[in-house]
Amino acid sequence: MSLSRVGRAAGGQTMNKAIWILWPSFVVAGIAEAVFFTLFDPQDLQLFGLPHELSRVGFYSLGFFFFWAITAASSGFTIFIQKTAEEINRCPLTPRERPDGCPKREG
Amino acid sequence: MREPLRRPAPKVKVIPIVEESLYEVQKKIYPRAVTGVFATWRWILVWATQLVFYGLCWLEWNGRQAVLFDLVHRKFYIFGLVFWPQDVFYLAVLLIISALALFLFTAIAGRLWCGYACPQTVYTEIFMWVERVIEGDRMARMKLDAQPMSARKLALKSAKHGAWALIALWTGFTFVGYFTPIKTLVQETIAWNLGPWETFWILFYGFATWGNAGFMREQVCKYMCPYARFQGVMFDPDTLIVTYDAERGEPRGSRSKKTDHRAAGLGDCVDCGICVQVCPTGIDIRNGLQYECIGCSACIDACDQVMDKMGYPRGLIRYSTENALAKHWGRKDILRHVLRPRTLVYGAVLSAIVIAFAWALATKVPLKVDVIRDRATLAREVEDGRIENVFRLQIMNTAEEPRRFAIGVVGLEGIEIASDKTVDIPAATTQSVSVRVRAEPGAGSRGSNRILFEVRAVGHEDVFVREKASFLLP
Repeated sequence: MSLSRVGRAAGGQTMNKAIWILWPSFVVAGIAEAVFFTLFDPQDLQLFGLPHELSRVGFYSLGFFFFWAITAASSGFTIFIQKTAEEINRCPLTPRERPDGCPKREG
Repeated sequence: MREPLRRPAPKVKVIPIVEESLYEVQKKIYPRAVTGVFATWRWILVWATQLVFYGLCWLEWNGRQAVLFDLVHRKFYIFGLVFWPQDVFYLAVLLIISALALFLFTAIAGRLWCGYACPQTVYTEIFMWVERVIEGDRMARMKLDAQPMSARKLALKSAKHGAWALIALWTGFTFVGYFTPIKTLVQETIAWNLGPWETFWILFYGFATWGNAGFMREQVCKYMCPYARFQGVMFDPDTLIVTYDAERGEPRGSRSKKTDHRAAGLGDCVDCGICVQVCPTGIDIRNGLQYECIGCSACIDACDQVMDKMGYPRGLIRYSTENALAKHWGRKDILRHVLRPRTLVYGAVLSAIVIAFAWALATKVPLKVDVIRDRATLAREVEDGRIENVFRLQIMNTAEEPRRFAIGVVGLEGIEIASDKTVDIPAATTQSVSVRVRAEPGAGSRGSNRILFEVRAVGHEDVFVREKASFLLP
């Protein structure tokens, strides 16, 4: 496998991970938003015990991104702990870049 | 066969651990344009769904937008119906109906939704049409993309993205127009004082449309859509799916039109690869059913044209079922198997829920009442020796006109309301009414007695709600 191919695959991995983190969390945030704001009216909510001055649409919008941030954090955590032992232990340097004396150094 | 005595020792080689991507490195797909029966159906559905989506928000009803999800006032209007947050039950039932309909259609004929009606398909189709008009068909587009940047390329690409951006913005505008009255949006846009959130959501939805239909395309179906992943469990051997008739097609191979291909030992597949070129997800249907197949039938249309040119019968790729292929069934047998226990059960459950839903909507009373006991005073004796309880009635007039409501109470002998017996409530408004109820001390047992509040709209005898409460006697 050539380096460029590896690089591209790694780039694809980053893209995949971004999709895995952002997409399911987006869907779940949408559901959470609908359920939460069906049950609660933003005008009845208080922030730190004080009434807020946001419009309903503003509250809904910020609420959506609030939910999305939380659900994305959960997805991100899932991706993070999904790493295999090899992935964690693997040397980030290519064999050529390894320091002198490293048994896995090449060239 | 004799094994060699000694195998050469395998060379020790450090194999770098490379994460194999679950998804292959994406190759850009250049679908070839296709015409035919199924392509025509898809265009009919593109028009139908988009006429509804772009058009519905402009219709008026009762002096307001006919379909409006008014988040600001927390009310959903759908023609004559008004839904309040308390009506979320109807939304839940609607979702169940949609899910069951999806099961039913998938069991009968696979991914009909994906191939014809899914917004992802519809907008991709529209965006690809724009691309084809501006950049040309498949070969022209591939050539253009391979070229270095030139004035012509820049002009074509700018024109395409300009057209895409306009469609995307209009789509975003329409989408937001279902949440904020679209005529208000138009006025605000003309006056250049669109609210910050409206602006944001128009751009957000527009950007999503542009990205999904212009770039992501089949990636959305392959990697993001959950339906693609669980469709398999809804298929059975009698499900109609896009199928390549391998028995008839193989061995595939190119040949001259004049050749007697049967004599030459060839099947009907001329291996022209057009079925692959037209596929929006870039698969080869000849490899059998794959989860990427969105059931768009572009390959059927394309193959039929090739068969016509070759003078072979149509349908080398066609809608068929696993059983039909194995048992050589004709159209009649296939259609007979559409009715099978699975589809009948889905159909029966779906019909029952749809009927119940329609009945619930038709008999929906535009009035809701909640009774809350006044907690400060449980029961007190008033001047004439009777016992008084105080209640708070939360009366929601969900009709779109102001109404007068008569409040009554039954359940104990001689029980009556000592406060105002009528209340006027403006259109689509909730009002809290304090109600004093009196009864003789001996009218019931000591403690809690079941009573019923009756709220009736004056002049609309059918708008009537009965709500339980308890009357305390010392």
